[in-house]
Amino acid sequence: MAEKSVLQRIVERRHFKFVDSVDSWEEAVKLCCEPLVETGYTAPDYYKQIVDCVKKYGPYMVFDHYVAMPHSQENAEGAFKTAVGFMRVKNIVDFGTDADGEKKEAKLFFPLVAVNPEEHLENMQQLMEIFMNEPLLDALMEAETPEDILKAEAEHPMEEEDF
Amino acid sequence: MAKLDNKKLLACCANGAGSSLMMENAINKVMKKHGIKPAELRHCPVSEGKSAARSYDVVFCAKTFAKTFEEAVKSGNTVLIPLRNVMSPAEIEKALQAKGLLD
Repeated sequence: MAEKSVLQRIVERRHFKFVDSVDSWEEAVKLCCEPLVETGYTAPDYYKQIVDCVKKYGPYMVFDHYVAMPHSQENAEGAFKTAVGFMRVKNIVDFGTDADGEKKEAKLFFPLVAVNPEEHLENMQQLMEIFMNEPLLDALMEAETPEDILKAEAEHPMEEEDF
Repeated sequence: MAKLDNKKLLACCANGAGSSLMMENAINKVMKKHGIKPAELRHCPVSEGKSAARSYDVVFCAKTFAKTFEEAVKSGNTVLIPLRNVMSPAEIEKALQAKGLLD
């Protein structure tokens, strides 16, 4: 277990963004990658691969509870350093419907860059816990500042799921 | 001996880096809970999975890829498990039970 959590690293590396609304899901994907571009973790064009992937396969990167995890392949073109980003959009971002007609909507974006396999695996294991922790997700949807992200995490610790 | 002991399991998504990795983690939780030791459990992108699928006993994917794999596994014995929520061990457990692969 790394000494810092994914959310702590997001704050420390300034990989966060708070937005009120966007015009399209494509714009949301671009915006959530911006902090990763600005800090040298991805190329400016990285987000285009994600947009193309969603157009090709549908919004399968959008999960329950308004969570989206935009990402491309491990060692994708323009992926420089392993990271997870964070973006909260106040108004729901509409990703359309999936093949079964189920609506796909997001307010929380966790863009991924995968280069180092061990670090990426650790990130994914932590993200899974975050995505299953609905009280934490609710608090993150209300976050306005990086301090709010840390506060949300402190107030809603991961629960050992009783699976 | 559990039905999935020594079986080969594959989790696929478009990129082989995000949801397939989550699936692998979730599948692993189910295997541990039931004390099952599969011969292999790995994840990969759809591009690779399409040709590899037939040499696996069970292939898991997000339901959006179900059609892609139905084609790839139709002539063999591979069981396809499309999932709505790729990170839900409960859904995986239920789906495997529905296919008679898990008690």
